Amino acid sequence: MAATRRSETKTITVFMDGTRLTAREGQTILDVAREHGIRIPTLCYHEKLKPIGSCRLCIVEVEGSATPVAACTTAVSDGMMVRTHTPELVELRRETLKLIFLKHPMNCPACEINGNCQLQDLAHEYDINHLDLHTYNIRPVEPEPEPYATPLIQYHPRRCILCGRCVQACVEITEVGAINFKGRGALTRIAPVERMGAIKPQCVSCGECMAICPVNALTEALGKKRGKAWETRKVKTTCTYCGCGCQLELNAVGDTVTGVTPTEGGVNRGALCSKGRFGYDFINHPDRLKTPLIRENGTWREANWDEALALVAERLADIRSESGADAIGALASARCTNEENYLFQKFVRGVLGTNNVDHCARL
Amino acid sequence: MAWMPSGPPWVPRRARQTPNRRTGEETLADIVFGIWDGQTVHPGKDALWTPKLTPLQDVAEYEPGNPIQAIMGWDGFFVFDPSVDLVDMARAYMEVVQRESCGKCVPCRMGTRVAVDLLTRIADGKGSEEDLHTLRRVACLVRDASMCELGHTGMNGVLYLLEHYEGVFRESIVQGVRHPRRSYHTKVTAPCIEACPERLDIPAYIDTIRSGRYTDSLSIIQEKNPLASVCGRVCVRFCEFACRRGMLDDPVNIKHLKRFVSDVELEAAVKKQAKQVSLSPDAKRVAIIGAGPAGITAAYHLLRKGHRVEIFEAMDEPGGMATYGIPDYRLPRQVLRNEAQVVLEMGGRIHYNQRLGQDFTLKDLRDRGFEAIFLAVGCWVGMRLGIPGEELEPKGYYVGVDFLRHVNRRDPLDMGTKVVVVGGGNVAMDCSRSSLRMGANEVHLVYRRTKAEMPADKVEIHEAEEEGVHFHFLTNPTRLLVEDGRVVGLECIRMELGEPDSSGRRRPVPVEGSEFVIECDMVLPAIGQKMDVRCLGDPPVLKLTRWNTVEVNPDTLQTSMECVFAGGDCVSGPATLIEAMAAGFRVSHSIDQYLRHGRVELTEEERMSRVLRAVSAVDEDMVDRLARGVQRIQIPTRSVQERVDDFEEVEMGLTPEDALLEADRCLRCYRILLVATAK
Repeated sequence: MAATRRSETKTITVFMDGTRLTAREGQTILDVAREHGIRIPTLCYHEKLKPIGSCRLCIVEVEGSATPVAACTTAVSDGMMVRTHTPELVELRRETLKLIFLKHPMNCPACEINGNCQLQDLAHEYDINHLDLHTYNIRPVEPEPEPYATPLIQYHPRRCILCGRCVQACVEITEVGAINFKGRGALTRIAPVERMGAIKPQCVSCGECMAICPVNALTEALGKKRGKAWETRKVKTTCTYCGCGCQLELNAVGDTVTGVTPTEGGVNRGALCSKGRFGYDFINHPDRLKTPLIRENGTWREANWDEALALVAERLADIRSESGADAIGALASARCTNEENYLFQKFVRGVLGTNNVDHCARL
Repeated sequence: MAWMPSGPPWVPRRARQTPNRRTGEETLADIVFGIWDGQTVHPGKDALWTPKLTPLQDVAEYEPGNPIQAIMGWDGFFVFDPSVDLVDMARAYMEVVQRESCGKCVPCRMGTRVAVDLLTRIADGKGSEEDLHTLRRVACLVRDASMCELGHTGMNGVLYLLEHYEGVFRESIVQGVRHPRRSYHTKVTAPCIEACPERLDIPAYIDTIRSGRYTDSLSIIQEKNPLASVCGRVCVRFCEFACRRGMLDDPVNIKHLKRFVSDVELEAAVKKQAKQVSLSPDAKRVAIIGAGPAGITAAYHLLRKGHRVEIFEAMDEPGGMATYGIPDYRLPRQVLRNEAQVVLEMGGRIHYNQRLGQDFTLKDLRDRGFEAIFLAVGCWVGMRLGIPGEELEPKGYYVGVDFLRHVNRRDPLDMGTKVVVVGGGNVAMDCSRSSLRMGANEVHLVYRRTKAEMPADKVEIHEAEEEGVHFHFLTNPTRLLVEDGRVVGLECIRMELGEPDSSGRRRPVPVEGSEFVIECDMVLPAIGQKMDVRCLGDPPVLKLTRWNTVEVNPDTLQTSMECVFAGGDCVSGPATLIEAMAAGFRVSHSIDQYLRHGRVELTEEERMSRVLRAVSAVDEDMVDRLARGVQRIQIPTRSVQERVDDFEEVEMGLTPEDALLEADRCLRCYRILLVATAK
């Protein structure tokens, strides 16, 4: 939070909509409002990012300022008088929302986040309908289509409200800065950064931009059928890709996994890498290996674990007695945990008696 | 908040009559109507307000033979010629706002687009009464709810036009009048940009710091300024004095933000510039005399324009006065060496130990095939006090710049233990503080006026005080006391302030009989510098001014010899780093034009700057909104005990966290100026 600074704990008094509130110096108006349950609408604000201040929906009136200020970027001061919901503010917010909907298409039924969308909620709250927009009668705004920073994500320029969350997430969370605003005025869009100085920042396909987008303007380019919010079941689980143990939510419609969403907490604090976020289609894949297979006469047959493990133990013992332990090489998977990998090398060294052990992540 | 339109007080005659040509000799009665800062100006009506407008008289003509018809800006407009097409002008202005809108906040991004479309419909004769209503509503939204000053101010002109010339718009709507498109002169700027001699796009590089894109930020600085890290340390920061955040609390710490990005990104920065350059097919050879800030900046820009550049430097290191005049505790040597490297990386050459007038002459350079020459030799001769005792050249007597050069070159020095420095500028501060670091036990500073009049940077004065320099204000030296060829004291006289002189400062006059002696074994006068004109031969090959600086055309920096340009201290007299760099930047345009077209003209940017200065002089600026962010971040310095014994840097830079907080304070005061001219 940009305005919170060092160890300032000085308490001050702020009046919000006539109520006397206690705040800490360095907090923003929005921080104080949220702490005390006063709702100020926002679109670009996100707890994980420093305030952006671009959507202008959190504007509030402050005594002494001739024009409204953004609650998310303005620090409180002692004795500040704030009004969050005057008729003028409501009208300005409504006008701002209307301007957003001049570009953002109003065909919510076609959108996966229908019913789980902040913008939709605000349109409802501020009673925006398409008839309202006719008085503007502007030329359509169609930014040029262009590829996104990664082929895993598709960018929908018309849906995009340019809140800038994705751009900041790429800088603040992933620390890459692979995307930025491009163009000017109404044709502004989010695009890959071509060059920063002499360097081209390389998108790592982590998908943080997609996860943080409030309006579904960034979607998975593959696996498009994500299902509607209300029919999706979310299951909290641990990522299976490596020993980090990142927490995530598998989204499932019926028994089919349709996507991965971040969940707060855990070692990853909501962040994910490209494998954890995009690599879920193996779960429902027809070729997925579900039981051990044993090769007999050149063909594979399904077996159970006891049978398979007994065979492995027998063959390892045979090889060791025939050719010595160093005839055996062992390779473990990066998808096991650290503990499992530790046990594995212990087994190979202590039980099999060879140092020929390695790990796929090292290859 | 609601915009209450009132009826038009004056509706101009229909457009497209024979324009009333303005000659420049006429008076302000020429303004047919204007509104600025919410005040209307109308000939005869507001006579009291008129004297404020005199600056506008200077810009009656945009360029010779091309009078200005109207000006539209961030806080209103002026109409000088009733034939100007206001509807088309409003549309053109709004198109610039939309084109410049950074697209980040909703009201400005979409609102200005709506305004452009509405105004286009009205100007095409297809507008409706409802369009006018919508335009007003959207304009108020953009003005009240935008994120930065571009949106806050971009609509003012149009709103005022709608208020006072509603009739013109309505007429277009009712009669379906079509307004043909004309072209206008426009400029996007900000007060800090205009204050910077080099016109760096300051809000842009601060904004990129705010979003954590340091490389982008440095690229923006390096568009114009090759010595970002040097400026980030020792610039006198005209920008901060113009910063509008200062009207709310304190200005944004622009200097240290620049230092921050250049420190973070320096390694990459110097290397990468080299790869951007390629010689143009018609590359010409340019000689630059002096590798100081002006010379390096000119070389950098000329190389970028594709010319072959060679620098001739009298000393054995680049940097000029920035190297030999600024001590290491303010500007570490290595910083400058690194940044000056850029000239070599880009394919330029620097010849060291080549002194003009001694090793070569201007004519030699011509003979060697250089088609243009930039003279940037600086002001290296320190002024002497002109008091008895000086002529003996005693031990322990050094002119300020010579002393600093000795210190910076680590040359042997007859160092004393009790030092008196004379003067009140930055060189005097540098001499005092360097003396302490060279081992002087006591340093006294003698200045003939008071502290308030000292031209030195306030930060410098403060740090010198902290380090224990004794200040003697209203004191002037009268005699140098010498014994056995060594300085033993300085006789001074008390002064008092009399009538104001030409600079507006009260002139100090001596108090009879108040002489006293400061015992000392070292005296360093730092009361000014001048150019060493001997380098130009005798008689000088270039025309000089009566202050013995090189005479140039102030717009083009061309000297009395057509192919020779001059800039920096040798033209302006001793001035600042950034002014020298700006001269280098300016001269790179002039030389480029001269080499390509054989003549030099003002650029469009400079013409617009002229008009802008006039309008800004009329503008009563104020900030009436709360701004984001915290108070100005204080820059940590090393403690006095720690720093007075060495030449390590005193000021420490901003931490990344503080840099973000500081960058967040910028108001982004972008503003747009549009000028309609007859041609």
